[in-house]
Amino acid sequence: MKARIVIVTAVALGVAAVAVAQTGTKWVDRTKADVRAGKASFYDVVDTVLKGEQVQVLKTEEKWLSVKTPRGKSGWLFEQALSANAVAPGGDSKFLKGAGADASTSATAASTGAKGIYAQDYAKKKGYDYGVVTWIESNQPTAPDIEAFALAGAGK
Amino acid sequence: MSRRTVLVVLILVAASIGVEATNVGAQFGIPRIPGIPGLGSRSEPEQNPMEMFQAFSDMDEPQEVEVGRSVAAAVGARYKLLRDAALTKYVAMVGNGVAAASDRPDLRYYFAVLDTPEPEALAAPGGFVFISKGALDLMRDEAMLAGVLGHEIGHVALKHHNATIKAQRTKALAMFGANIGLSFVPGPAGYFTPVMSLVADGIAEGVLKGHSRGEEMESDKVGFQYASRAGYDPAGLKEFLAELQAKKSDAGVAKFFSTHPGIDDRLQEQTKMQQARTGSGGKREAERFAKALRK
Repeated sequence: MKARIVIVTAVALGVAAVAVAQTGTKWVDRTKADVRAGKASFYDVVDTVLKGEQVQVLKTEEKWLSVKTPRGKSGWLFEQALSANAVAPGGDSKFLKGAGADASTSATAASTGAKGIYAQDYAKKKGYDYGVVTWIESNQPTAPDIEAFALAGAGK
Repeated sequence: MSRRTVLVVLILVAASIGVEATNVGAQFGIPRIPGIPGLGSRSEPEQNPMEMFQAFSDMDEPQEVEVGRSVAAAVGARYKLLRDAALTKYVAMVGNGVAAASDRPDLRYYFAVLDTPEPEALAAPGGFVFISKGALDLMRDEAMLAGVLGHEIGHVALKHHNATIKAQRTKALAMFGANIGLSFVPGPAGYFTPVMSLVADGIAEGVLKGHSRGEEMESDKVGFQYASRAGYDPAGLKEFLAELQAKKSDAGVAKFFSTHPGIDDRLQEQTKMQQARTGSGGKREAERFAKALRK
């Protein structure tokens, strides 16, 4: 009987410890990371967090964490973007700033990174048509398109 | 020995022994050098030549995406882009499903179709994935497409371009040291610009020439897994490779083999993975594929 109580207590403590580990505060461990509306990279960006910022983890599903950002926005981050330990702020990203204040935390700054500013310069010098890249980036399906596509089909 | 020579030697030594570039300048007490073009004489006093090397010692995702865009422009210069929005979106919808099941599901992926009858599939850093109309024409269903896209996504997820980035960075250092062939006049991104240009050149060349046999095998392995996790029959990749092998005497297909080595070994490995797989089947979606391809 005693042994059973010990085991049950240990299991309960273990479950509690895991739950604690999966919620609480985490720190952004990348130059920047996009907080998205869903658990995949094709979902819209709701906020961008920068290295060293703290987020509150609300829950974990698979390898995606539901978080609240310092600006009060809620969305999903992939686990590899976060650290359980405090991370020093990354400072200003000259690379992103050089592209036009893209190191900001605005939603529009997010997934586009440096917006192709440097790549356009490269293409121009090489004599390449950067319109190819622009066309590709502007002809991708939306998140609702992809969700509907996944649900449709014969499934066989 | 001039201060410039001392600086170059120190930088090359740091690079060759793999020292993390962060704090290298401070560690070696490397001074800023005013008066030398591109080394502190311009109007951005906060810039330091070391930043150029720091950027490529550990390229972050925004930088990788920017290099990817540059490489995509180079691919677009080699092959004509098929500006068919419906077909592009179809390929991207299959690709996004597979990418979401990959080891790097948080990277935004972009998919495109190349307007060439040659079977070809390419991936650039930062998530740019290309497949040719010629490759699509060899496929019978979506499972084959998912397998090939899974393979290309594997190159991105496994960061197979990093070796080229490292090699090009070392080349940039050497050219900087010899003061030849590469203008270190800062561009829109300061010193990042000339180095990025060199890195993009190297990766574009590598992407168009193809990956090593080992990298192809690695990407096959994860491509199989990604397609399977996305719900597709992972036999699709093997079937595509077999289709190519059956047509290997065709001129266009022969070119594919020159950039994708070791097809016999790859087929054998795929067969082993298929045999070791727990569970069976998966989506094929032949009708949807035929409709999208207007077959």
